[in-house]
Amino acid sequence: MTKNWIRRLIGGLSFTTALFAFQACYGTPGDGWDDVYIHGTVKSKSSGEPIENIQIKINNEGYISTKENGQFSFYTSFNESLPISFEDIDSLENGYFYSKDTVIKALKSEILLEIFLDEKTIQE
Amino acid sequence: MFLKIKKYLFRKFKKLETDVHDLNYLFWECTTRCNHNCLHCGSDCTKDSSFPDMPLQDFLKALETIKEKSKFFTVVLTGGEPLLRKDIEKCGQEIRKLGFRWSMVTNGYLYDKEKHFSLQNAGLGALTISIDGMKDSHNWLRNTPNSFKKVDEAIGLAATSKRLNFDVVTCVNQKNINELPEIYDYLIKKGVKAWRLFTTTPIGRAKNNPDLNLSGQQLKYVMDFITEKRKLKKLDIKFSCEGYVGDYELKVRDMFFFCRAGINIGSVLIDGSISACPNIDRSFAQGNIYKDNLFDVWQNKFSIFRNREWTKTGICKNCRDYKDCMGNGLHYWHGQTKELIMCHKEKISEPF
Repeated sequence: MTKNWIRRLIGGLSFTTALFAFQACYGTPGDGWDDVYIHGTVKSKSSGEPIENIQIKINNEGYISTKENGQFSFYTSFNESLPISFEDIDSLENGYFYSKDTVIKALKSEILLEIFLDEKTIQE
Repeated sequence: MFLKIKKYLFRKFKKLETDVHDLNYLFWECTTRCNHNCLHCGSDCTKDSSFPDMPLQDFLKALETIKEKSKFFTVVLTGGEPLLRKDIEKCGQEIRKLGFRWSMVTNGYLYDKEKHFSLQNAGLGALTISIDGMKDSHNWLRNTPNSFKKVDEAIGLAATSKRLNFDVVTCVNQKNINELPEIYDYLIKKGVKAWRLFTTTPIGRAKNNPDLNLSGQQLKYVMDFITEKRKLKKLDIKFSCEGYVGDYELKVRDMFFFCRAGINIGSVLIDGSISACPNIDRSFAQGNIYKDNLFDVWQNKFSIFRNREWTKTGICKNCRDYKDCMGNGLHYWHGQTKELIMCHKEKISEPF
């Protein structure tokens, strides 16, 4: 512990930046960002059954689809207000559901979501 | 005077870093399959289809032995070409589950929009893509038609990410050295924030190919180019930490040269060997995950990396910069030669 403290002090005193954020010559930069792990399940509001193939758009930057068991997981940046939308992209296959938009506060390292979608009738 | 104090303190810092030897950057050579046929293959990475990809579970078992880790401990997936693994996202997710960060070095050929999102969803935090010139010179070195088109798309995607700590690397050679200003402008236009230049280590297929190696005058030109562009602050351009560059130290990078191989950087190679950077001679391996405990090996072996007195031989023996250089990058020591393959500082000083 003392050694750690001394090395940070001496490192700082040598007035060079990025002392501890190095990268190997043929490697990548370090991953120094805090991020959030968001995971959960999308279900039908009426039946409570998980829904497959719902596309989840994350902050308009990326997307992911739910698996057969309705589950999803992704990492994203910390965000005071993170817009996420859930959209049925396969029409009648796996049911027929309204889209849902939500905004969550993504400031914890892990967030569990349970999302319910309203079912559409075929006429709609 | 001021520089001398800085250098003195940095030497002390290096000594402390070496004593503490925190492992916080681990390469995983997860495949040696590759979709390119680069002219410099075998220099800093290898294509060798005789090894099957390492099963994810084997690597995770080794990773689990690491008891103390820093918050941003990064596992760097490298190859071959890591994107040839069909389970690459699964690899990333499982690495994250164990509390490690992960990143990847790629040639960009398979990095399309789907991959861009699926990899980030799997927790990819940093990415390096290689571009070795504008269209003709890149395709020439990569020995793969269409390679530039693909890497151009990949760079465009990666540069838009707000999450990825992303940089581009270029291996400077005879074909692209005169294109450096053009590449610089191109990268800025693409929205790239960081660019690292390095040279080809004269080993493997690169050893006897004069098109791949630079003269002393050309290496000096690269140093001057980086120095000038760094002053503009438009792009975080730097020379890689491959070697000690004498008076150009701090002009071409943010910190003094420090080869951290075996001090903070370790690797698990395709056959399970435990070593430092993957481009270091394989005879330097310190153990094997299939019979040794990775963390025990890291803690108790690696003396060849942490005590570099053995490099004080040949041209290094009486060099007055030895304390700052410590035998250059360790990947410049190969096999039983007991002689440094190349001294950057000496090369830069070669008379024209």
